[in-house]
Amino acid sequence: METNVEAQRGVPVLLAQGISKVFPGVRALMDVDLEVHEGEIHGLVGKNGAGKSTLVRILMGLEQPDAGVIQLDGRRFRSISPSEALKAGVAYVPQHASMMDSLTVAENILAGAMPKGPLGLIDWNAVYKESTERLGRLGLHLDVHKPVEGLRVAEQTMLAIAKALFGKARLIILDEPTAPLPRADINRLFGFIRSLKDKGIAFIYISHHLEEVFEICDRVTVLRDGRVVATRNATDLNMALLTQLVAGENVREYERKSTAQEVSKVLEVIALTRRGHYEDINFTVGQGEVIGISGLHGCGAEALGAALFGLEGRGVGEVLINGRPYTARNPHEALEQGLAYLPQDRYRFGLVGFRPVRENVTYSILARLLGLFNIVKVSEERRVVQEYLDGLGIVTPSQEQMVRFLSGGNQQKVVFAKLAVTRPSVLILHEPTFGIDVRSKLDIFRIIDELSTQGVAIVIISTEVRELISVCDRILVMYQGRITEEFEKGHPRTTPENILRAMEGGNNHANR
Amino acid sequence: MRTGRTDWVQFILNRFIWFIILGVFLFFAVRAKGFLTGLNMINILLHGSVLGLVTIGQAICLFSGNFDLSAEGTVSLVTVLAGWLMVPSGWWEGGGGWELHPFITIPLLLLVGAGAGWLNGFMITRLGMNNFIVTLAMQLVLRGIGLFICKGFNISDLPPLFRWLGNGRIGPVPVQIIFTGLAFVGFHLFLGHSSFGRQLYAVGGNKDAARASGFNPERTITTAYIISGVLAAIAGWMLLGRVGESVSAVLGTGLTLETVAAAVIGGVALKGGYGSIGNAFAGVVLLSVVDNGLNVMEVDPFWVNGIRGFIILVALLVEAQKFRYKPKVAQA
Repeated sequence: METNVEAQRGVPVLLAQGISKVFPGVRALMDVDLEVHEGEIHGLVGKNGAGKSTLVRILMGLEQPDAGVIQLDGRRFRSISPSEALKAGVAYVPQHASMMDSLTVAENILAGAMPKGPLGLIDWNAVYKESTERLGRLGLHLDVHKPVEGLRVAEQTMLAIAKALFGKARLIILDEPTAPLPRADINRLFGFIRSLKDKGIAFIYISHHLEEVFEICDRVTVLRDGRVVATRNATDLNMALLTQLVAGENVREYERKSTAQEVSKVLEVIALTRRGHYEDINFTVGQGEVIGISGLHGCGAEALGAALFGLEGRGVGEVLINGRPYTARNPHEALEQGLAYLPQDRYRFGLVGFRPVRENVTYSILARLLGLFNIVKVSEERRVVQEYLDGLGIVTPSQEQMVRFLSGGNQQKVVFAKLAVTRPSVLILHEPTFGIDVRSKLDIFRIIDELSTQGVAIVIISTEVRELISVCDRILVMYQGRITEEFEKGHPRTTPENILRAMEGGNNHANR
Repeated sequence: MRTGRTDWVQFILNRFIWFIILGVFLFFAVRAKGFLTGLNMINILLHGSVLGLVTIGQAICLFSGNFDLSAEGTVSLVTVLAGWLMVPSGWWEGGGGWELHPFITIPLLLLVGAGAGWLNGFMITRLGMNNFIVTLAMQLVLRGIGLFICKGFNISDLPPLFRWLGNGRIGPVPVQIIFTGLAFVGFHLFLGHSSFGRQLYAVGGNKDAARASGFNPERTITTAYIISGVLAAIAGWMLLGRVGESVSAVLGTGLTLETVAAAVIGGVALKGGYGSIGNAFAGVVLLSVVDNGLNVMEVDPFWVNGIRGFIILVALLVEAQKFRYKPKVAQA
């Protein structure tokens, strides 16, 4: 374990020393130290299963450590109960904060302590006035009359933070707060977090998104296999070093080896328009080519992906696959005509959690595995599935394991297996690295690479600009429903900064 | 990469129902005089055969994530309709005067069951109506049609050929036991190995993912209801054969709750996508054993429902633990 930490100003809000936790058969945490000071934003990063969530659960009092001491707010605990943690000022804000969604912001803030009028009835004027004032003191301006479900996700997160602060929280644990957010909202959220930091609030910031760590965190603690491998000032780190610390081996930033030659067009989209979603979309993807489509939330890229797969209406315009008109109106026809789609929400659209890995992989090719009386030929199925499990490096105790018990990275690979097994001509991937750890990400890139060398035309719809640059032959940027710019691989203009600016509608010199 | 030894908690949770059945069975065998006789064993199975058929249909609908509360309506309509189509009496005695041959009547009855099932499926998948309410209303509608047809009369004197399913024997064994037994085995294997079974579980487990995998959830759910409707029609045919006369559209009353209970007791998940026909069978066996045992022990009938309710609650408790329990799987 390395430590390379300057003396920090201020008092430690949290001092955890030598925390260990063993689950049957698993060493979740080994001798973990963590120190968070007043007014500090402390990043906590690591792969899935590195021990982040166990550590957080211990700090929240949901899990008792086997060894170690926790010092919170000057008091020392051998173990801590949820109510003690709350009283000591620890608050946890998950990615999707749970509040009373159908009630107004004001009601959520003042729940349980609503100002009452003369008859013992709630004094609504006072409710709205007081809640607005309270939020104002934190520099947060929300419409308190709105129901919480009507807020943007970032606003909900900010409201959850504010609520925690009204409850006298001094250390706020944020769990992947930005994953579902568009860039503009991330900026707003970060602004809010920084303003609270200036007021002395401490944060533990959990993220898979390593770039953000540099943007918002003062210090970073990296966990790997239940141990702290480093605690550093963010300024002493760079992307390559942090990636290496997280992954545990020398991982260079991924660079796709194969590049598409000038070959036959596989996917052609001609003047595709669906009012309110996207307009006049034109692009082609060649055999073995990987293109990226990027843009802010609501730019039309996501709608385009879903529409091409037949999950939504496609509008007017023409689509050709291998020169033939593509007419699919639903996923079934899309798969038949050689187009497969990886949804961003793999739990909702990709997997059936209670069914075994084997069945999940073959859902889309079931028709090919049927024998007499539509009975599935299971031995043949097993052979096919094993081939893909081996090929994609999926770790599972057996083919019969329920998918819901696999890790996030392995689940994502199962979805890939399910698509690859259909042998598609076109593969559309929507945020393929969403919420998975660094190691799994590299595996996913390798899989994309391999599929492209097999001649599959691949379209990646993503906001992970750096990843797109390293993987794609071309990147199209969409803005307000239109393709506004195109970036070639290796061109000097193809930088994250330029692409991000294009996503926000900038770059007036745009001439495609 | 398992933690080494067998996961006993998982093992027992998955077979908990059979341990309960064994316990209950042994209890009655010791305490209830006359329980452990061949005749009584046949009685238990007889009790479970109509219930079993309808429960298979119920379980198939539950796998798809939907209730079928209409099945007992189908059972009752079919019992009335069969008499109306076959017996010579005129409308003033509740008959239709058709005097149809059983070989014509039976396909018509199955068609009625299939039609009711299709209508359920259509309303739920195409019109987007709630499955619970749709099938509950259908139960009333079907029973209502039955009452309208028979005008409250009882119809007897059914052709022996028709009654064979519910009344006949092959050797010492009643036909209905053999039939239901075969249905359980057949559907268990069919759902476990067929394309339809795959789709059914996928749709029940995650409809959106099933659709994105190229399946057609609407068709799958409708098919589930059609199967359930046909099985209910067969159950009605069986029940009428056993009873011998249609008792003004009241046959089958109370079946709905029993079928849902049997499926859930056996371990079929109400939220869909989880369970097997074997589970449903276990539930039917337990309910039948308990009913029979309490009967043989001459327990005050006022207690019987309370005891059944208690058993259902215990089964649900175990069920809840099963979904909470997570085996330790090494993270990759």
